[in-house]
Amino acid sequence: MSTAVKDTEAPPAPGAGTPHRSVASRIVGRIGSGAVQVVLLLIGVFWLVPTLGLFVSSLRSPQDNSASGWWAVLTEPSQITLENYANLLDNAGFVSSFFNTVLITVPATLLIVVIGSLAAYAFAWMEFPGRDWLFLLVVGLLVVPLQVALVPIAQLYGGVGIYGSILGVVLFHVGYGLPFAIFLLRNFFAAIPRDLLEAARMDGGKEFTIFRRVILPLGGPAIASLAIFQFLWVWNDLLVAMVFADAANQPMTKALQSEMRQFGANIDVISAGAFLSMLVPLIVFFAFQRYFVQGMMGGAVK
Amino acid sequence: MPESTWRGRGALAVAAAGALLATACSPGAGPGGGGGELSGVELLVAAKWTGVEQENFEEVLAAFEQETGATVSYESTGEDTGAYLGPKIEADEPPDIAILPQPGLVQEYAEQGALVPLEGDAATALDENYTDYWRELGSVEGEPYGILLKAAHKSIIWYRPDSFEEAGVEPPATWDDLTGQTATTLSDAGITPFSMCGASGWTLTDWFENVYLSEAGPEKYDQLVAHEIPWTDESVAATLETLAEVWGEEDLLNGGTDGAVQTDFPTCVTDVYGQESAAMVFEADFVAASAQEAGATVGEDALAFPFPAVGEEAPVVVGGDIAVGMSENEGVQELLAYLASPEAQTTWAGLGGYLSANSAVEPEAYSDDFTQQLASTIQEAGDNVRYDLSDQVPSQFGATEGRGMWSILQDFLRDPSDPEAAAEELEAAASDS
Amino acid sequence: MATTGEPAAVPSTGTPAPATTEDATATTGSGRLGPPPWLALVFLLPALLFLGAYMLYPILFSIYRSLWDALGTQFVGVQNYVELFSNPSTFIALRNNVIWVVVAPIVVTIAGLIFAVLTERIRWATAFKVVVFMPMAISFLASGVIFRLVYEQDPERGLANAVITTVQDTFAPSAAYPDARPRPDAPLAEAEGGGFEVEGEVAPGDTVLIPLVGVQSDELPDDAETAVAAEGADGTVTGTVWLDFTRGGGGEEGAIDGSEEGLPGLEVQAVSGGEVAATTLTAPDGTFAFEDLGDGSYTLRLAPANFTEPYNGVTWLGPTLITPAIIGAYLWVWAGFAMVLIAAGLAGIPRDALEAARVDGATEWQVFRRVTVPLLSPVLMVVFVTLMIYVLKIFDLVFIIAPGSVQRDANVLAVEMWRVSFGGGNDQGLGSALAVFLLLLVVPAMIFQIRRFRRENS
Repeated sequence: MSTAVKDTEAPPAPGAGTPHRSVASRIVGRIGSGAVQVVLLLIGVFWLVPTLGLFVSSLRSPQDNSASGWWAVLTEPSQITLENYANLLDNAGFVSSFFNTVLITVPATLLIVVIGSLAAYAFAWMEFPGRDWLFLLVVGLLVVPLQVALVPIAQLYGGVGIYGSILGVVLFHVGYGLPFAIFLLRNFFAAIPRDLLEAARMDGGKEFTIFRRVILPLGGPAIASLAIFQFLWVWNDLLVAMVFADAANQPMTKALQSEMRQFGANIDVISAGAFLSMLVPLIVFFAFQRYFVQGMMGGAVK
Repeated sequence: MPESTWRGRGALAVAAAGALLATACSPGAGPGGGGGELSGVELLVAAKWTGVEQENFEEVLAAFEQETGATVSYESTGEDTGAYLGPKIEADEPPDIAILPQPGLVQEYAEQGALVPLEGDAATALDENYTDYWRELGSVEGEPYGILLKAAHKSIIWYRPDSFEEAGVEPPATWDDLTGQTATTLSDAGITPFSMCGASGWTLTDWFENVYLSEAGPEKYDQLVAHEIPWTDESVAATLETLAEVWGEEDLLNGGTDGAVQTDFPTCVTDVYGQESAAMVFEADFVAASAQEAGATVGEDALAFPFPAVGEEAPVVVGGDIAVGMSENEGVQELLAYLASPEAQTTWAGLGGYLSANSAVEPEAYSDDFTQQLASTIQEAGDNVRYDLSDQVPSQFGATEGRGMWSILQDFLRDPSDPEAAAEELEAAASDS
Repeated sequence: MATTGEPAAVPSTGTPAPATTEDATATTGSGRLGPPPWLALVFLLPALLFLGAYMLYPILFSIYRSLWDALGTQFVGVQNYVELFSNPSTFIALRNNVIWVVVAPIVVTIAGLIFAVLTERIRWATAFKVVVFMPMAISFLASGVIFRLVYEQDPERGLANAVITTVQDTFAPSAAYPDARPRPDAPLAEAEGGGFEVEGEVAPGDTVLIPLVGVQSDELPDDAETAVAAEGADGTVTGTVWLDFTRGGGGEEGAIDGSEEGLPGLEVQAVSGGEVAATTLTAPDGTFAFEDLGDGSYTLRLAPANFTEPYNGVTWLGPTLITPAIIGAYLWVWAGFAMVLIAAGLAGIPRDALEAARVDGATEWQVFRRVTVPLLSPVLMVVFVTLMIYVLKIFDLVFIIAPGSVQRDANVLAVEMWRVSFGGGNDQGLGSALAVFLLLLVVPAMIFQIRRFRRENS
């Protein structure tokens, strides 16, 4: 699995285990390789330890956490307990916020993928007046801050009666996920060889059929990247949930946030909850790294 | 005050604190048995309570359901009631009744036209059971909107008796004793006198209010609330100067100034009763819950004394939650009338973790001595009781994280050298909101 | 019909129909394949509805709403925009946003560049990249919680300060009695340069009592014993340093009462003419003696080293350092993103260009500066602009990491926008103005994106 990050970046795939002797590597050639190893090792530790700290804190009682730092378990391993997790899983409020997160994330991801790929196909392979201008508009919308929509959509939802509901949160995510989805997929679809499309059309395939039989299978990797990227994005969202989800429909992030005001006192709930909320993203990340990285990069480089 | 939404423990401790000194009397089932004049009516009540506090309130609501046949559902607003209601009002989908943590909100929402005034039985119940001051508090331009449903006694200082014993000091009766004798002796004995909860800005406003009420008197207090006198009035600077006698002394504060500003509520309580790193913490009656959680037994190793007199008289500052009607649906006024009644509040008092401002609720209604005492200090102080100032002014100024009083007092706690400048900042922020 | 090229004859069940003669005529008829424009609309419609409702309409409505007051009932013109620049709270947010936009993208891009270059040198580059990229997968909320723990003030609990104080303590160990001090009326004064000086002068043969307070009896060293008054001796200055506090109160101030304990191991100096003439340590009962002091008068001083406050680390979450501290967390989250993109760019640099430079006698550093970086500059620019777009809108990290007491000092526009509109401010007019202002700030980035896209597709 760990080769995935590498795959995405270096077109000439490096041989297994052999460092890729590129030009840049010679640049640093003068620096002792040993020194580089040590520096990177330190940086790696620096990147890992904070997360480890959260994890270990979540395994200690609130009393231990207020008395000493998490590293105290190195000398007193007996401090480790699953009690915080047991309490959390026992708590209807937390469990329901977990399911709310799922109920928001899954439909939002599916809708973005479906609507986004339909539109991307139209932009890539269908002729219609104003196509290029419309697509430029989508490119422009990529960077619109979602803050612009908070006040107007809150009022709109109030009028329609879906304020505070899961549906409202889902639709909002779809709205803000679409420009990126269309942009990413259109670029990928456009790269599908014209011959394949022409052949299908020549065979008399209907557009929907071509879309389903030709585009979707070929666009699989791009669609996977998009889906994973959006899944994590929505799963991790806090702001949209804070504005549009009420207490009964709140996802984990919002529920956790409401504990933050008493950070010191609620550290047991916060650390265990934060770690549980990270679990699914981490699994998705390690399982589908390559797609995730591609999705992440898709917005920046074509 | 704010507690975790994910656990019952905090609120449980409130109930435990109540049950501790005396066995709770069995919850009354509510009076009468009328039967069904509101059957089929559905009402939604929103408040910030969770856990045991919520359960107790629901029990009080259940009596109303039995009596009338209405169905009342409860929704938690989360910690920030303003943030919960604001968008709902904007969306025109408010709950039928909301319990607001601040009269400031009552005024704001009334001006927005989001509240329904009390009528009929509800208005009568308010008149009969509450003193003028509380009636005024829930009124906007003479029109009654809110009922102070659940009070919090904010004029007590909690301490750890064993630390007082070790230093050989007694609870002080005056501010000078507090800062002089008590704090100095504790400090001489190597015990840090105060644990501050500076990261939670509202605790600092409570300090200010108690000192100001006692030092400047109730009249000035009311004028300041109404912003009839500016915050640059010398009484404000004087109070800040008095506060600096504690806030400015690194040695008196747990963790020094940095510690004082960075410690939140209720970590500051844990520091006294759990870590035992300080002797006293100032906050309201609800500290009991956190003290209990930190392992102390309220009444034995967690005690409280009244906030000492700075001026003539010791202050009695009360905070609390106010019930308002937000829709004209059937049953709203009836439920409000019920909530204002001594019956409902006596039931609640028996459940524990509750303090009433209703003059018709007898002290005996409370299940423990401690709450009984608190209730009687409120009744004894009579016309001199005042409601939490920061909760009466616009919430942007008095009750918002990172703004107005909260952040200016936090800055003042960080560096209390210039009371006048702080007073000017307060005035600027107050005029701006 | 058929001449339009629409494959109308194909059964809608999706089973591929065998090519028929009819199809053949259709294609030959038009010479142009592809569906009619209206069908494109069908494909586009859902997306267009969403984009219209969630992006275009809100932009227009926000602009409109920003010209009205808090309640939305009174037209106020540009008043909200004036407020945006004059209100101290929004002004701090504005200032911080500038700091963020200037500092964060540069720091992250540079870190990404360094990591990308260095990882080319090691065998375990992949593992390293996974580790550094991992924070991108988790929520900003979780990252915020993680760093809130790291930045905790108390070195006993916060990792950052624990490391700093441990390093510090190995160089300057902390003292035994940091909190000890005399009572205000005791015959001791703070000495210049720390420590305390006994008032008045002493000569050999004298005996002194030095009372201190402020130490809890549980905190005394284990070897502390009940204090005794030192006995005078000829040619010797003697005395007692003790904890002048009787447990439970009661003792007489300035006198050694029954149970009061000595302060052992305290460094006492005899000073003459500004010079330290002799130094001694107190015994478990608090007594000390300077034998062999020459005749003359001395001032007794309790050395500053006895009272050095333990170093308490850096106040990360205080008002001055909060923004840099959060930028640190931001670096932790985004460095992986920059690294991966830049590494991809590095891999794509043609070798010839660099070889040519080397043949010309350039050093490796020159090659890096003059050739690699310029060749990488499109990628660096993309990374930089992307980061900038995200930095402008930064919300979660600031909101989560900054404790309540410094929210005002850490404030940024996106947080202010939320607070003003939903978090208790109840002023959606000002909130809308903030949102529109944020939108204006990203317009340059928008133009950059569009121009880049057009260039790449021309």
